[in-house]
Amino acid sequence: MSGLWPLTVRELKKWVRNPTFLLTGLIQPVFWIALFGSAFDITKFFTGPGSGAAASFILDGAPNYITYIVGGVLTTMGLFTAMFAGTQIIFDRRLGPMGRFLSSPIRRSSIVFSKIISSVIRILPQVVILVVAAYLIPNGLKFPHGFTIVDVLIMATAIILIAFIFSSIFSVIATRMTNMQSIFGIVNLVNLPLMFVSYALFSRQMMANWLGNVAQYNPVSWSAETIRTVIINGSLTASQWTQIGRWLGALAALAAGLLLLTAYLVEKEIRD
Amino acid sequence: MTGIIIETKNLSKVYNGKIKAVSDLNLEIKEGEIYGLAGPNGAGKTTTINMLITRISPSGGTATVGGFDIAKNSLAVRKLIGVVPQDFTADEDLTGRENLVMVSQFYDVPKAKAHETIMALLRLVDLEEAADRLVRTYSGGMRKRLELIIGLVHEPRILFLDEPTLGLDVQTRMQMWNYVKEIQGRLNVTIILTSHYLEEIDELAARVSIIDHGKVLITGTPSELKASLKGDIITLTLVDQKSTDAMKTVPDVIDVADAGTNTVRIKVANADDYLPKIINFISQHGLSTVRLTVQKPSLDEVFLEYTGRSIREEEGGADRMKMAMNMRRVRQ
Repeated sequence: MSGLWPLTVRELKKWVRNPTFLLTGLIQPVFWIALFGSAFDITKFFTGPGSGAAASFILDGAPNYITYIVGGVLTTMGLFTAMFAGTQIIFDRRLGPMGRFLSSPIRRSSIVFSKIISSVIRILPQVVILVVAAYLIPNGLKFPHGFTIVDVLIMATAIILIAFIFSSIFSVIATRMTNMQSIFGIVNLVNLPLMFVSYALFSRQMMANWLGNVAQYNPVSWSAETIRTVIINGSLTASQWTQIGRWLGALAALAAGLLLLTAYLVEKEIRD
Repeated sequence: MTGIIIETKNLSKVYNGKIKAVSDLNLEIKEGEIYGLAGPNGAGKTTTINMLITRISPSGGTATVGGFDIAKNSLAVRKLIGVVPQDFTADEDLTGRENLVMVSQFYDVPKAKAHETIMALLRLVDLEEAADRLVRTYSGGMRKRLELIIGLVHEPRILFLDEPTLGLDVQTRMQMWNYVKEIQGRLNVTIILTSHYLEEIDELAARVSIIDHGKVLITGTPSELKASLKGDIITLTLVDQKSTDAMKTVPDVIDVADAGTNTVRIKVANADDYLPKIINFISQHGLSTVRLTVQKPSLDEVFLEYTGRSIREEEGGADRMKMAMNMRRVRQ
């Protein structure tokens, strides 16, 4: 009698049936990779002898900027989709369904977890489209050392963890709000700082010292760097495995902690 | 009708430490009956319902629903009850049937059983044809009917109906009354009904409590409550003042008073028994009448008697507030 399954099915039905919601979500990754890939490509200013080495240094060894930022764009896309998980909770409260959920014998936390799980599922086709788009555009994504199923799994894990982390945070915020404008305000306040104070689009070498120091604590950086390391290096060295393990471990610990906190707070606090 | 299925003892709810929404409320609702809760806005009806359905917790007193304590065993209470709240709760982006299936899954109703119940309920409220359309295409009356059966999809023992016909036209309201009666008859479910429309409570409820300031003022069957007012009103308009004055000497009445030009208002114990006497009196004294009306007391008069104000004044206020809220919702 948890209610998680029927509520998650409901979210996914609403997603698939809303053509605008579905299409914009699927087109967005193509826009992001094409626009960010050319707008922020600093290596185009490098010319003459030694420019290749300089670019490679700036890009942590990636053959081009698109290859460098794929991990970052995937992560920020996951972040942005996840941040809106909370808005559906406010809609449910304002339009009535919340009243039905609260008078049913389902777990309160299922209401929130259904939003979190469905936003994670919505991100997955976006990931595929983004990778394919990045691969197909001129001077796009290259896998210098091949690409295996293990790499796919590592990428998916990083993005899913990011989605869990931010959809939990924003769902908990939404359970305490009745006003749509407030949640949009918070999303707008933190989305760009989270993206730019991270290694999603630029490497640490390109940042001011203080910014680079702060960015290393941003979960967005952990996910972006994990995916990047896998794409650029293919078969990993022992020390790279250790580093990736550390990043993914930190993401998993944070996600688990936040999910537990969400369950606890929501069972206690969810309001009409 | 067997035992008591809902019982409250000194149930109270205080908001912010000072606003007493419900204070020392005592109710006993019997299994299988339709029980009406009437009262002006802010009387504490919805707060009482919200405590009984475990949406909010009481500040004092106790209540049991189906034998379970609402504070200690809220999950067991929620499994037993069906709720049809005042506002729409169906998801507009799903079909009627999908909403019903989803809610049946909330209660772990087995798939085959749910399918069967849903078909029967859709048939009951004439929604079979619209079942696979998105709820957003439904009319107001269809949505209310859907809400009614969503509350029944798990075959609850107790159904809470909060203002089931608010905002519906007269014809649709009467149709809803028939559905409610049929549901109660067929499923033997106990129904707790709140309504602004006293004729609705009169029509449906076996017993009713009038609530004001969070307390029960009086409880009884609608006929008992009306009888407690002791008297029907016969209003007579005569041709001239002389006839009117003569009419005032009519014997064996509770009260006679002027009620406008050439009009008298006569209060009698029972109009059905007294009318022949009036007719004889008129013919004996050779009086000519223009108009004669008989008014049996309605729950409106009962309400007026016990709360000191008319529910119609309250109702106007409530509808205006509801309209303002809907407008706000539309704007956002």
